[in-house]
Amino acid sequence: MYSSVLNSFSHFQYAICTVVFVMMALIATPAYTQDVPVYSTVVEPYIELHTQPGRSYPVFYIAERGESVELLKQRTDWIKVRNLRGIEGWVHIDEIGRTVNEAGEALAIHSPNLDSFANRKWEFGVMLGDFDSSDAVTGYGGWQFTRNLSVEVAATENFGSFSDGSMITGSIVHQMFPQWRYSPFVTIGGGVRETRPRSTLVGTEDRTDNVASVGGGVRIYLTRKLILRLQYKHYVVMTDRDDDEEVDEWKIGISAFY
Amino acid sequence: MENWHKRVLLTAVAAVGSLMTGVATAQSTTVGEEIISPDIDRRTIEKPAIDTEDFEVGLYVGILSIEDFNSEIVYGVRGAWHITEDFFFEVDYAVSEADLTSYEEITGGPPLFEDSERDYSYYTLNLGWNALPGEVFILDDYTLKSDFFLIAGAGSTDFLGDNWFTVSVGAGYRLLLNDWITWRVDVRDHIFDRDVFGQDTTTNNIEWSTGVTFFF
Repeated sequence: MYSSVLNSFSHFQYAICTVVFVMMALIATPAYTQDVPVYSTVVEPYIELHTQPGRSYPVFYIAERGESVELLKQRTDWIKVRNLRGIEGWVHIDEIGRTVNEAGEALAIHSPNLDSFANRKWEFGVMLGDFDSSDAVTGYGGWQFTRNLSVEVAATENFGSFSDGSMITGSIVHQMFPQWRYSPFVTIGGGVRETRPRSTLVGTEDRTDNVASVGGGVRIYLTRKLILRLQYKHYVVMTDRDDDEEVDEWKIGISAFY
Repeated sequence: MENWHKRVLLTAVAAVGSLMTGVATAQSTTVGEEIISPDIDRRTIEKPAIDTEDFEVGLYVGILSIEDFNSEIVYGVRGAWHITEDFFFEVDYAVSEADLTSYEEITGGPPLFEDSERDYSYYTLNLGWNALPGEVFILDDYTLKSDFFLIAGAGSTDFLGDNWFTVSVGAGYRLLLNDWITWRVDVRDHIFDRDVFGQDTTTNNIEWSTGVTFFF
């Protein structure tokens, strides 16, 4: 029953899995209901309003000290604001972070930095590499539930000369030094793998096996929300045959967090 | 006699010394207490509730030129996550269907592939770079944001009965009609090696597409 379900695990369903990561990312986004408008007051000499969310777009208006603006929405590091005269423009998040709310407190927002990296909650990324001397591509998502521990779900597809395969794994990841820019980690996990022999080979059938994995690697904080990730994993594929297969996997990937 | 004097002097020095240390300790304790017990309430600073719109999802339709086959219509969905104003992740999934190979058309012989094997689908995981952000000026007071971007990624193509490791490179243009509706034009080259005709050949499958996406 279990394996028959997994035997129908097709390319399409794999694609669905990757879409699920995007959905996970969406669910993980804090769902703010903007019923109450958020206002903030300029306390520095001025803040600059750009025409569009980007550093190279022209500044067309300056909100002066004492002026109050409504915070409408955020896109990447830019916040769209509207002043009392109805003028709308985009202000960088670090400038908004120096404005104050009604209680006179500075707003607790800033662009992502190394400290945000150490205190991240969610992490999503894509990785490329070598799985048992074949090309492999991985999409993964992770939830950091303490500063040191996270759980991750990964979908991997690999393409060999004689077979290709899909794999869904869950793992627990431990990082010893969360505050380091080069943050090493170790991981153990398990999952299921479907191996599909090439259609040019005759007399072979798709098979589904359980896998267990152990590995390690390093996350390197690049800039803003971006992480470079290098990892090695060793898999044991528990086949029906006399011997289990042992597989080495090397990967490099790019991820983002929040 | 001398010993007695020395003893008195030493005792006196020791007494004064210990007294001074005592005073010093007492003083440091008072200072320490002031430092240790600050009477300040720690404020919980909350992030203001601002709606973030970093995700972009949408549909596209285009023409896919499948190597050794005809050009066919392709339908796809895409989802993107904008990490910074410069970079975004994007997942694309699309389907198409190939017709006869050029060989089959010329010779008119029996088909080389079953119909189901001619179904073409792919997914790619991409990283995009908004290389040339810009603005389009339509009326005096009406300007639209635009991005010309470069994009590259990897994924899988399901075609002719097998899955092929696919590298995808391309470029695109995104015009924001308002804050959240965009019109897109994309061109991609989906490159993969396949060996269905006996030996490994690298195929380039070029796709032109246009579509609509929504930020939320």
